[in-house]
Amino acid sequence: MAKKLTGPQMILANNLGDGRVVFFTSNGGWSASPAEAVYAEDEAAETLLAEANRSVTNNLIVGTELIGAVVTDGKPYPAHMKHVMQAKGPSVRTDLGYQVSTEWEAH
Amino acid sequence: MYAYDTYDHALVRSRVAEFRDQVARRVKGDLTEEEFRPLRLMNGLYLQLHAYMLRVAVPYGTMSADQMRRLAHIARKYDKGYGHFTTRQNIQYNWPKLSETPDILDELADVEMHAIQTSGNCIRNVTTDQFAGATADEVADPRPYAELLRQWSTFHPEFSFLPRKFKFAITGAATDRAAVKWHDIGLIVRKNEVGAIGFEVLVGGGMGRTPVIGKTIREFLPEADFLSYQEAILRVYNEQGRRDNKYKARIKILVEAMGIDEFRRQVEEEWQRIKHIPIDVPAEEIARINAFFAPPPLPVLEDTVSAVDALARKNFVFAAWLKNNTNPHKVPGHVNVTISLKPHGGIPGDATDSQMDLVASLADTYSQSEIRVSHEQNLILPHVAKKDLPTLWSDLDKAGLGTANVGLLTDMIACPGLDYCALANARSIPIAQAITKRFDDMKRLQDIGPLKVKMSGCINSCGHHHAGHIGILGVDRKGEESYQLLLGGSGAEDATKAAILGPGFDEHGIVDALEKVVAVYLGVRKEGEEFLATYRRVGQQVFKEAVYDAA
Repeated sequence: MAKKLTGPQMILANNLGDGRVVFFTSNGGWSASPAEAVYAEDEAAETLLAEANRSVTNNLIVGTELIGAVVTDGKPYPAHMKHVMQAKGPSVRTDLGYQVSTEWEAH
Repeated sequence: MYAYDTYDHALVRSRVAEFRDQVARRVKGDLTEEEFRPLRLMNGLYLQLHAYMLRVAVPYGTMSADQMRRLAHIARKYDKGYGHFTTRQNIQYNWPKLSETPDILDELADVEMHAIQTSGNCIRNVTTDQFAGATADEVADPRPYAELLRQWSTFHPEFSFLPRKFKFAITGAATDRAAVKWHDIGLIVRKNEVGAIGFEVLVGGGMGRTPVIGKTIREFLPEADFLSYQEAILRVYNEQGRRDNKYKARIKILVEAMGIDEFRRQVEEEWQRIKHIPIDVPAEEIARINAFFAPPPLPVLEDTVSAVDALARKNFVFAAWLKNNTNPHKVPGHVNVTISLKPHGGIPGDATDSQMDLVASLADTYSQSEIRVSHEQNLILPHVAKKDLPTLWSDLDKAGLGTANVGLLTDMIACPGLDYCALANARSIPIAQAITKRFDDMKRLQDIGPLKVKMSGCINSCGHHHAGHIGILGVDRKGEESYQLLLGGSGAEDATKAAILGPGFDEHGIVDALEKVVAVYLGVRKEGEEFLATYRRVGQQVFKEAVYDAA
């Protein structure tokens, strides 16, 4: 099915409670901001996923997924259009989703 | 309208209570996501790109003003102030919180609504003609039979885990506005030579990655045998439909593989075996359900209303709205009004909470408190007196609901696409917006005439692109959105599959390509010839040359 990813990867998931999109961060938490996400490559990415899945076990998060990232100035950003959409919110409703937050400016 | 009896109320309430408990157990951690997922899907709750999505059934696209008001209230209180009407005549909310979903379902149960069987491999909401019971070209109102199907299929223990989802559509009119030939089972109400009601039954239609037009399995099924025959079809499918490959699991694949004659033979055999079981309802029960759908007592009025004609002469937009957005009613002096949810540059099928409230109050004033949802993602006020049209139009227009484009190029079907949907490969809505902006001139639209543009953001075909006079399919081409153009499809009684014209385009190119297709049509059409007729007469090549050679 899905091709094995190469290069930098980050972890995207949904909050169990409201379904909103979040990224796994370096302190083991989750953030709506992709810039705060932790990223890794190859086996290290798999290790990251295993670590992130602890949140699944703790019933905070659903649907953890390793996704391709592009890294600019040390900050990761989703590589694929679908994940960019998830990070920002609907392109046709720019008044909704994470794209409305002031922190989004930084991306 | 149908009104719940004590069984319906008890059934829906107990389902809500059960789901409330399941949500609580999920949040507490007693259920894993793997265990919970099928349970939430059975209650219409998906996890989409940005958040949960709740799909609420609007049984056979009919609802009351009070139900619409409740939908508005839910959009306001639990969501982000809007909802999306779908090609299955349902409504979807895009941002509900998991913990609040049971409350939403309780609020829906208050007004006899639910989200049961809006997902999963079961029999889904039955769809029908949006003008059912009100249109002049109808043999009989199909909704009582749709209601019978609803009662029969709800929690049907044998058909809760079919090989794949299963969709019925039924129409009672000569003009097929319900795309019955594109459904797993399509039903057309007929009368025989002695005036008795029966049904032409079609089976094995469907869109998706393998578009197939349904085939007639029975020319005339008597009313008395209505449910047992459906049961026989479902039994053959349930037993023999493929479960090893979800892409080959729909009934259309089974019917194609078996051949319609063999499929018919097996259904007949099964039917003879089960007919003695009291599956069919007695005539009194059909009469009881029919009574809920009795036409409202409308006075016979003058068909010509001078004030309406005067305004139409004076105001081009009103004249266009009158022509495009009204449909002949059974009772003289009345029409069915279609409220376009396709404002140019807007999101097809979306309505805000205040628009929903307005439609509810207009329904109370003008349409016997009745509202319909069409599979073309519009809302309908049936039973409107012609004399009320100027005021109604003015009220709608002020709320951004007066677009006079029904049946025209900009009355596009578009699925939510990659802006919302986890399955999509490309965005649909921005393309629809660009097209409707490009064709914003009402005079030009009127000149082009009836033209159905239908767009899907992936092969699953929620946007019915196979059935579009012009279809657009969004695909992912090496990480970029790409759009294929299809021509010559129809969802009506002359159902045909649209054919792909050639290589895809980017998001700007697709709009230009569509415009070139329209230009060819305007150049070669005969007097009064609609787009589809022209396409069928002249064929694909002339369009292909215009779109690709000039590029």
